[in-house]
Amino acid sequence: MKRKTLAPLLMLFAALAFFAAFFLAPFAVVIFASFTQGADQAFTVDHYIRVLGDQYHWDVILVTFRIAALTTLVSLLLGYPLAWYLVRVVKWRAWRRACVILLVVPMFTSNIVRSFGWMVLLGRKGLVNQSLMDTGLIDTPVRFLGTELGILIGMVYILLPFIVLAAGNALAQVDPAYEQASEDLGASPRATFFHVVLPLTMPGIISGSIMVFTLAASAYVTPALLSGGRISVLSMLIFQQYSSVFDFNYGGALSVVLLIFTLVMVGLAGRVGSVRGSNQ
Amino acid sequence: MRTTTRTKITVALSLAGCISSQGAMADQPKLTVALYGGNWGDAFLNCVAEPFTKATGIAVAAEVGTSTTTLAKLQQQKSSPAIDVAWMDGGISELAYAAGVIADLDPAAIPNLKNVEEKGLYAEAGHTFAVSSGFYSLGLTYNTREIKEAPTSWKDLWKPEYAAAIALPSPANSSGVPFVFFMADVWGIDRADLAPLYSKLGALDTALFSDSSGAATNAFQSGEAIIGAHFNVGAWDLIDKGAPIGFTIPKEGAWATDARLHLIKGARNTKAAEQFINTALTQEAASCLAGKLYLGPAVKGVEVSQEVARKLPWGAGGSIKDLRLFDWAQINAQRASVTNDWNRKVTAK
Repeated sequence: MKRKTLAPLLMLFAALAFFAAFFLAPFAVVIFASFTQGADQAFTVDHYIRVLGDQYHWDVILVTFRIAALTTLVSLLLGYPLAWYLVRVVKWRAWRRACVILLVVPMFTSNIVRSFGWMVLLGRKGLVNQSLMDTGLIDTPVRFLGTELGILIGMVYILLPFIVLAAGNALAQVDPAYEQASEDLGASPRATFFHVVLPLTMPGIISGSIMVFTLAASAYVTPALLSGGRISVLSMLIFQQYSSVFDFNYGGALSVVLLIFTLVMVGLAGRVGSVRGSNQ
Repeated sequence: MRTTTRTKITVALSLAGCISSQGAMADQPKLTVALYGGNWGDAFLNCVAEPFTKATGIAVAAEVGTSTTTLAKLQQQKSSPAIDVAWMDGGISELAYAAGVIADLDPAAIPNLKNVEEKGLYAEAGHTFAVSSGFYSLGLTYNTREIKEAPTSWKDLWKPEYAAAIALPSPANSSGVPFVFFMADVWGIDRADLAPLYSKLGALDTALFSDSSGAATNAFQSGEAIIGAHFNVGAWDLIDKGAPIGFTIPKEGAWATDARLHLIKGARNTKAAEQFINTALTQEAASCLAGKLYLGPAVKGVEVSQEVARKLPWGAGGSIKDLRLFDWAQINAQRASVTNDWNRKVTAK
């Protein structure tokens, strides 16, 4: 009995130690810096006042979370049908496996390389603009790089697998008997989907969305490359403070603000998920 | 579906583990040198690191990053630095010294210091904290296929036909903040009140504000940018590779800065680091860097071919005395405020 409780504790300890060493300790340094100033490290809340008392930062926060929310929404709209196709439509196992590999393999490549790929595709002289011009749909190149749309395209591409994997898992767990019962009782396929399948897969959708949202809100590489420095998101302001202004105190405050806003948003999403869950 | 996904993730994680553990395997003595990416890094390795390793048998590990990221790393590692020698640009060099991460260069341990031009040695209150590895200049770079006649003025950037295809350095780039001051001089705007300049820059329809020299090179290569401010090093590299690019010094002039070598305070391999810097200050290394990067040598008496001389920051027939350098103390004092104003008035216009 005792051994049974010890093993999970030990396993938990390893995870906690890892978390403490690689997240809590560095994060404590950041929090400490965000509340101090000068060589004598005197306590101050000035950095937070500077961040939150400035309309400019609120505008950047708004852009950051607008991009994150749109990325989540578009990923869901594209990812859920894709997960449905993989789990419900594909009958041939080898093809399904190939699809999953195609979905996961890009995750082995660095974000930088994939974002560069999009820079090549979306550029003024890129494939997308060339094709549009060749077909006569447009006369002058459409601007994708340096716009929120360009960032959105890159982010959705990079984060889509998370939604597909999470929603696919949830879909695979739904017992087809529920749908058969719903059909037997006279519900249309549409009603069955919205009243039976969708609520049952909601936990998967929520967890996938939370992953995508948090990764999108904190993403640096993709927005930095695809914005061409013309649009700022919070992570870029943080990088700027750490890497070029060298103000670790103000940069720390910006980091803490990003984390708190993200946690609040995720907390709200979690509530939405649990309310839906209790309706089941 | 569930099991296949899980297997894939496990495989992915274990593979990632294998890749990251490779770095920890080497345990021979080696010197860690922070340098820039792209053709810069290649040239530093080729012209300095290779002869150094040949002479001493000490391997060199490159830590690639821009000057600003290198300084950020040095500040974070202050108590136990993993970097022994760092190349950082002018401006960032002064910040690094002020941050207390740089050790003095000792002429007894680095005898080649005596071969360096006075302009290439940086000292404060008797402490020599940096030595120049060569000078480069920021001029106008343009696409010769789209712009037939070489631009003659920095003000040409504002010509309507270049809209949406202009590349400028961002403040995250080590040339970004000095660029603001330089443009203020071009437009005759008082450096103490830069507001009129920000509205001019904000009115420009840029393709990008580049964070690094490499990002600018990429933009010119792909045709994303057809005109902009770029260093002679990146521009000539593209031209040498056959890209349709031109590099010109406008009538208002160009400004110059340099890549400097620094010995890191508390470095684990100080002796080897001093030897490395000494190797970099030989005429062979300086001439090699001039040939590969068109860096104007700070070492005295370096001979270069006529073709190379033409591409140096002071041009054919010029010398180190012709360079327009910056007062970094003034620029560094305003670095934070320029960055802030740029964010508000140029990026978020």
